Amino acid sequence: MKKIILKGRPIVEGKARGEALVSSTPLNLLKGVDVNTGRIIEEGHDLRGAVVTGKILCFPHGRGSTVGSYTLYTLAKRGRAPKAIVNELADPVVVVGAIIGSIPMVDHIDLTKIRSSDIVEVDGEAGTVTVFRRI
Amino acid sequence: MVYLTKDEERALDGEYGWAIQVAMRILVKLGDLFKADRLIPIHSAHISGVSYKTLGDAATEFLEELAASGVKVKAPATLNPAAFDLERPQLMRLTEHRLNAQKRILRLYEDLGVKQTLSCTPYYISKPPRNVHLSWAESSAVVYANSVLGSWTNREGGPSALASAIIGATPNYGMHRPEEREGKVMVTVDADLRSEEKFGVLGIHLGKLLGDEIPVIQGLKSPKERELKQLGAALASSGMVSRFILSQKSSSLPQEKISVGERDLKNSLSDISSEVEKPDLVFIGCPHCSYSEIKEIASILYGKKVREDVRLWVCTSRHVKRTSKEYVEIIERAGGKVLCDTCIIVSWIEEAGIDSLLTNSAKTAYYAPNMNRVEVSLASLRECVEKACES
Repeated sequence: MKKIILKGRPIVEGKARGEALVSSTPLNLLKGVDVNTGRIIEEGHDLRGAVVTGKILCFPHGRGSTVGSYTLYTLAKRGRAPKAIVNELADPVVVVGAIIGSIPMVDHIDLTKIRSSDIVEVDGEAGTVTVFRRI
Repeated sequence: MVYLTKDEERALDGEYGWAIQVAMRILVKLGDLFKADRLIPIHSAHISGVSYKTLGDAATEFLEELAASGVKVKAPATLNPAAFDLERPQLMRLTEHRLNAQKRILRLYEDLGVKQTLSCTPYYISKPPRNVHLSWAESSAVVYANSVLGSWTNREGGPSALASAIIGATPNYGMHRPEEREGKVMVTVDADLRSEEKFGVLGIHLGKLLGDEIPVIQGLKSPKERELKQLGAALASSGMVSRFILSQKSSSLPQEKISVGERDLKNSLSDISSEVEKPDLVFIGCPHCSYSEIKEIASILYGKKVREDVRLWVCTSRHVKRTSKEYVEIIERAGGKVLCDTCIIVSWIEEAGIDSLLTNSAKTAYYAPNMNRVEVSLASLRECVEKACES
């Protein structure tokens, strides 16, 4: 097992460990995620069809309507939220969503260092992302 | 780090309850992110995310929890348009489910103490003074406030404007700091901008080039208020611009330069406007009409009749409709409809039998093909209204 520690910026406190779901495409939270199933439905998105529930969701940043923040709140309330969020650059839509959904969040992370299905630990106070990879 | 007073710290620690804590957390986190030094009191908040079409069910649940906590807004707060005219819900032909979902959202905002202005031009209802701090969402109103009114606001989103309304303050960064309000790009316009929709086309063109940079625009010959409104709304649609400047002391003119000619505007026009032979709808009122626009529409329509095969819709706030009653009567007698509380972008006009429209708003032309799946053609207010009439 290889262990890589990535140092980023703490955004929303809390710790989580889970399987990474990594995208290289900005995500539209309002139009792109189904709040009932946690499934990504945005057309043309590289994670289309994947389910964010219980995952460490890694994507560059959000895009689109600011009311997309509320999507993360409702996902959390329905038990469909990701366990944590890792961004390259936090933007207000995702940050506000993570706050109201109480989802740990870290940014300033180079996402090319994380692969989908890696086991990842996010520390929202220290601002670190630890990647565990089988080799 | 954002410096907090003892009282703000207590709010952040949850001493005043969940709702105030979550609102304070939003403001402090955004403040940290954008390197604000402290929170500053606001004169008013304007909240977007009102129409059920843009808000959806997710937000409703958050608003429900806020309202259930009993919290009320601390700063005067106004609302963006909803999905239908409260007094004429049948015009938009919404399903029962959508009507009820929209009514529920409006009740929740009312419970929170937010005024049901339902307009994207809150400045026609109550004009904020110069040099006051605002927390406004609705990008067209943000540009108008910073550029035309001389008030100060960042480009807020629905949730951050709501949080500001609850706390009565906003983090001090960006447009709230004098040094960040200065022009960054010098724009020279060498083109004949005869009517307001041309200003909109200029805005669409510049927005793409500027991103979030503030332009100093030269070459506009004594533009009218409505032309600046169209320019700002368009700048904020294709770009992230929060302010434009028409004059700046020559000692501080920016180095970076852009020049715009007729050809650039022609290209941008053809990007957003298509040939529409017979529009299903002629639409004026994005952003919502002022008193003087309503008056002008009435003067063009006076003694004429709107054709049977086209709808003429004029959107404004209930306040402006009330104050321009005599002109509204002329428009409606001619067969037009003056709608309040709503706008076509945030409703489902494509399901009301509308496939094509003619408008004077470049912002509408920019959004409607995607938001409403309709074809759009752009023309001046006068041309739009005349086209709606029998020849």
